[in-house]
Amino acid sequence: MIHDMIELEKMGRPAVAIVSGRFEKDAVASSRAFGMPDLQWVVVPRIYRNLEPEFSIAQTEDAIDDLIEGLTQSIEERQSGIDTESTTRYEGSDRYDAILKMNKALNDEDLGDGLFLYPATAEAVEEMLKGTNLPPDHVVCDMPPGFGVATVEKIAINTVMAGAKPEHLPVVIAAVKALSKLGKEGGKSLLMSTSPQAPLLIVNGPVTKRLGVNPRSALGPGRDNTVNTLIGRAFLLCFRNIGYWYPGHMDMDTIGTTRKFIQCIGENEDMSPWDGFHVDQGFDKDESTVSVFVTDGELDVQDQGNHEAEGLLRTLAYGCTFGTRGLQSKKSGGQRLILMPPDVAGPIGSGGFTKQASREFIQEHAVGSLGRMIEYMPLKGEARVTEEWKWLENLSKKQLLEININVMDSADDVYIVVVGADRAKTAVFPSGPAPVTEGVDQYMP
Amino acid sequence: MHLLEVNNPVAQQRGVLNSLTASRRPESLEGKTVGLLWSGTHGGDIALNRAGEMLQERFKDVTVKFYNGNNYPAPPPLVKQAGEECDVVIGATAD
Repeated sequence: MIHDMIELEKMGRPAVAIVSGRFEKDAVASSRAFGMPDLQWVVVPRIYRNLEPEFSIAQTEDAIDDLIEGLTQSIEERQSGIDTESTTRYEGSDRYDAILKMNKALNDEDLGDGLFLYPATAEAVEEMLKGTNLPPDHVVCDMPPGFGVATVEKIAINTVMAGAKPEHLPVVIAAVKALSKLGKEGGKSLLMSTSPQAPLLIVNGPVTKRLGVNPRSALGPGRDNTVNTLIGRAFLLCFRNIGYWYPGHMDMDTIGTTRKFIQCIGENEDMSPWDGFHVDQGFDKDESTVSVFVTDGELDVQDQGNHEAEGLLRTLAYGCTFGTRGLQSKKSGGQRLILMPPDVAGPIGSGGFTKQASREFIQEHAVGSLGRMIEYMPLKGEARVTEEWKWLENLSKKQLLEININVMDSADDVYIVVVGADRAKTAVFPSGPAPVTEGVDQYMP
Repeated sequence: MHLLEVNNPVAQQRGVLNSLTASRRPESLEGKTVGLLWSGTHGGDIALNRAGEMLQERFKDVTVKFYNGNNYPAPPPLVKQAGEECDVVIGATAD
């Protein structure tokens, strides 16, 4: 809505948004991201969506004087108070004490992730910059959702703070670039959503082994996932301090998710019967890449005994059916990222299925009850039910439940990446918009 | 005593570097057309309609026009239409 208000202001029309409670910081951040820091709005205490009508009316009436003022009087530009240029000094009894003080200060300002941060001294940043061929002032992109200017130097500073190494920097740069190409305006609306969308990074090609990115039990803490964790963490700090993905500002999650401790995993190309995901995305097998997916949930789909391709694929297709769908267009828009372990991919491949044939089979068989998928919203009076779906309003609950529908519109909405150790346990993630893959080699020294 | 100097990790926002100022306001809403731009979220329509009614009670000859964007951002042609047909516009972030 802030975006729309700014578009109206650009046409010379005074525009004021009514902003619900905890979205005020979001409004401040969004007005700056979209280039009009003095955009005006009024704040009401509660979110309207689930409020009884009489409360909606009452809190609107309380805000009417401010609303009139916003439409008829200009105000000073809002200052964010965010310093982006200077260095900061921390004094301690010794170096360790100074680093602890730095950690407390940075986390108090919410510039970290709650864990120990490494000091981005001039020397450390200079060393980090040796990891890329790009100059420090090179602008990689404007990073969503806040559209911070992602210079190589700022990416390097955050990569140092994460504890990552210079050889990791090209992957971090490529991932930042990929995020900016994701969906409309870098998937901005999704990233700011009250649902827990979070990026997942997947590397392919020689860089996986060269850096030691784990392609087996790749998600989670521990020694084997050190590189996975460090690269993911560097990306997360960039996302926060360059992309302004700060909770309560431009990350409006209701509950959140542990997937926001972003991980970078490798594809297990050695144990896959097919070409790697980067080849699906148009890269050569020998190129190194990183792909950015945005995931919105995670389900363990286990198979207990199937060893034939069709049985395994049917299990996976069923695992893809959980979730809801919108009724704003004929298409569902649903996508699934499938992290398929070698014990599943192997039999499917040897059973004669190419990766594309597997995607088609899963899409065709991932069918669910439309009634279940839309149970989360009332149909009558819902503005987000378009004309082509209005006929559903006249059906009984039973009739709605009996309508079966494909969860995904096309095999293109099914993404398969082979990851994992021995065991037929697949991870399925609702995902979208379509992932973006960026070459890593171009950022190497 | 140890002094530790570290670099700032925060980037400037592009929108701040290239910022625009809000448009000039009318002194009064009398005789103006007020647009109500709804994102389609439940309850936002109630808020906008009540705001429109109150402006009509407070100012003479106020015309109110309601636009259902069905989403955020609203379809650009609808935003353009609201901008062309109205003197001021109110929206609601009701989510």
